Amino acid sequence: MRILSLLISLALWYFISFFTEIPPPHEVFYKFLFLIIYEEPILGKTLIQHAEASLFRVLIASTVAFALAIPLGIFAGWSRNIREIIIPIVEVLRPIPPLAWIPLAYIIFAKLPNTVQVSQLYIVFVGAFFPCVVTVFDSARNVPEELIEMAKVYRANDWMVLRHIVLPHSLQGILTGIRVGLGVGWMSIIAAEMIASSVEGLGYFILTMYEVGGRSAEIVSGIAMIGLIGYIMNYIFIRLERVLIPWR
Amino acid sequence: MRRSPVILILLAVILPACIQEGEVQVVKLPPRDMVEQLKLGEIDAFVAWEPFVSEAVVNGYGKIMATSHDIWPNHPCCVVAAQKNVDKDILTAIVWAHVKATRFINDERNKDKVIEYATEFTGKDRSVVEEALKRIKFVEYPDKDMFKKYYEKLKENKYLTKSPQDLGYENEDEFFKDFLDDSVYREVIENLSKNESWIPKKVNATVRMGYLTADLHQLAFYVALKESYYEDVGLNIVKKEYVNGVFEMEGFKQNEIDVGYLGGSPATLKRVNDDVKIKIIAGANNEGSAIVVRSDISNPNDLAGKKIAIPGYGTVQDFLLRLFVEKNGLKLR
Repeated sequence: MRILSLLISLALWYFISFFTEIPPPHEVFYKFLFLIIYEEPILGKTLIQHAEASLFRVLIASTVAFALAIPLGIFAGWSRNIREIIIPIVEVLRPIPPLAWIPLAYIIFAKLPNTVQVSQLYIVFVGAFFPCVVTVFDSARNVPEELIEMAKVYRANDWMVLRHIVLPHSLQGILTGIRVGLGVGWMSIIAAEMIASSVEGLGYFILTMYEVGGRSAEIVSGIAMIGLIGYIMNYIFIRLERVLIPWR
Repeated sequence: MRRSPVILILLAVILPACIQEGEVQVVKLPPRDMVEQLKLGEIDAFVAWEPFVSEAVVNGYGKIMATSHDIWPNHPCCVVAAQKNVDKDILTAIVWAHVKATRFINDERNKDKVIEYATEFTGKDRSVVEEALKRIKFVEYPDKDMFKKYYEKLKENKYLTKSPQDLGYENEDEFFKDFLDDSVYREVIENLSKNESWIPKKVNATVRMGYLTADLHQLAFYVALKESYYEDVGLNIVKKEYVNGVFEMEGFKQNEIDVGYLGGSPATLKRVNDDVKIKIIAGANNEGSAIVVRSDISNPNDLAGKKIAIPGYGTVQDFLLRLFVEKNGLKLR
């Protein structure tokens, strides 16, 4: 069935490319391989180098986002007081698309060196932070009450409850939060790179190729690379979930 | 809190790959932001059109490392391009207004008025535009052979993805004959040489005109507006501003404009790559750009590892930077 799905997709692609300027699959495949091995002449970088630049930004910003979102989500799920302070703020800020922050980010970080780069990292941070904090919060809040009560009967203190019950129970939520957060962060960086001048990165590459013109195969190759990396990131975390929490 | 070892491994692989020494880093910026960013130290150098070069120099934010005259003497720069389907009478009216405006600018007697118009058009101080005007040569039609160098270099640097044959021309000569169409210009100057006060017939038409943000090279456009040359020939001009020539070519492609002032390099690039059906009906200026560097940078080799801004890939300034870098044995990133 998978082969059939692939064949249908390719046939559809050939069909669309026949009527539009979108290059056919074989042409894109050749260009994709070419761009992985050789530097594209205008920006002087291979597709791998652009992908590395984008990934690097996403990993830096997401790591900071997760380092804040995971403890915040767990504490909010575990303590009613913390929840009542944090969750309304999260719920108000969460629906704002990361890209809507771009102009404000430029203003906030205007005094810092590399305003553009810092703003891009901030946009990824926003993209990765909210899905992660919400997922972690949900899983931490849904720890069965009876488990906590039973622990307290055995005189477990707050730290022990957190360490031995809430945290292990939230592991699934943490991994899902990281996976979803990375996905949104990845989408955000591509768009942020398209808007600002970034020197390198997949979003920058795609937009520059469009501006210079006559480079549909390069554009589709860049898009394919975005999809491929997004897929690989997702795949790694799904495998990781299976390894770390096999009982699920 | 759990840190995935995968992330750490990826970071270890990626970090070294992102550090590159000894190459000139190129960023895209609108010229109006270049001066500010040079002042703030966000960039180390920029290549821009006037008056942004003079603005940085007069205010002491940077100094000129090379003018476009040093890089490529007498190079064609901005031109007037038109969609191929624009009516010939309208083109005649536009070219007439342009030639009149260019001659007005080049007439020493109008010096004060030209400076006044330049100040209004660009929004810059008198001292800045006076300095800037010294570096621009206002022309009526570009030297065709020199203009072809854009094509040759764009081809050599692999910017071009198509050939004249792909666009339906038999060879490059045939392509240039169509692209650099000076027939209307020749007619206009011939009529003007016979009678200096000749005015073509009124066309009573609206023309959507593109131009670049505060680009002093395109002063003739503003002078034609202010001196009512467009009115004289019955042209109603609707203005549309673009940040660089590549974007203006997008404007041509999306049919947002009929005629436009823009750089010769983006005009050639997108004429070929995207088959944007335009032709060059007049020239606007030669030279008039420069590489501006921070005061502590003194020779071209100091640019290695530095961040230098251009208005966009495929623009005249990108073109000049590539020539400069090539000449000085540097590499662009």
